[in-house]
Amino acid sequence: MENGAEDTKDPSGFLTNIIGKNVLVKLNSGVIYKGRLQSVDGYMNIALDECNEWSEGQQVRKYGEAFVRGNNVQYISADT
Amino acid sequence: MSDAEETASNPVSEPLDLVRLCLDEVVSVKLRGDRELKGRLHAYDSHCNLVLGDVEETIYITEEDEHEQEVQRIIKKQSEMLFVRGDSVVLISPFQ
Amino acid sequence: MATPAPGSALLPLELIDRCVGSKIWVLMKGDKEFSGTLLGFDDYVNMVLEDVTEVDDGGASTKLPKILLNGNNVCMLIPGGGPEAMEI
Repeated sequence: MENGAEDTKDPSGFLTNIIGKNVLVKLNSGVIYKGRLQSVDGYMNIALDECNEWSEGQQVRKYGEAFVRGNNVQYISADT
Repeated sequence: MSDAEETASNPVSEPLDLVRLCLDEVVSVKLRGDRELKGRLHAYDSHCNLVLGDVEETIYITEEDEHEQEVQRIIKKQSEMLFVRGDSVVLISPFQ
Repeated sequence: MATPAPGSALLPLELIDRCVGSKIWVLMKGDKEFSGTLLGFDDYVNMVLEDVTEVDDGGASTKLPKILLNGNNVCMLIPGGGPEAMEI
């Protein structure tokens, strides 16, 4: 077990630490989703709230809630 | 704490719970290859294999016209019932 | 025996473990690259990176404060930061 939720250094610690925060999720296709992170699992499946889809620098769509399948994820970033 | 209690306090404790909450509701599904589906979610599993009913499939095609300009073409298809293999799923969202 | 004596060979993940806390350059499958400070990683080589520069296949670069990079499409890891830190 890692050192509780305080340890943001390893991947699982980072994930528990950013739950409930605004995140940016980039897919391998280049599409970006911004929203509030509800949950993540071991496959990097992601549930987002108030989710906005960005493609080629333009906002293309809004979803109230969205499930993103983990195999498409390139990275998850704490949103800036 | 039992699983039931945990899900009661937080309906989305893992991402697939969000899909579970969409059962029997109309969802929009984004697929690889610029395709989208809108339909009623009858069943799903952990691979994101889906069974959808009363489905509208939208396919976005970009092609070049005779002046080498990119044009978007949209094809729509209707199906009564559809099985989707999970590996082509990108995103699932309750339809609004 | 051709196999090295136990303890003499540096396992690949031990090499990455030595990079924790320092700059690392990540080459992805395709032409994408990331460079930043490695905070941690797991057995799948998913990595937590800080002060990240993302360079996409078109050459455009983006700064990101902190990311979890999916290990799935990682091709190569080079200790010591990105190309700008290299003296080639």
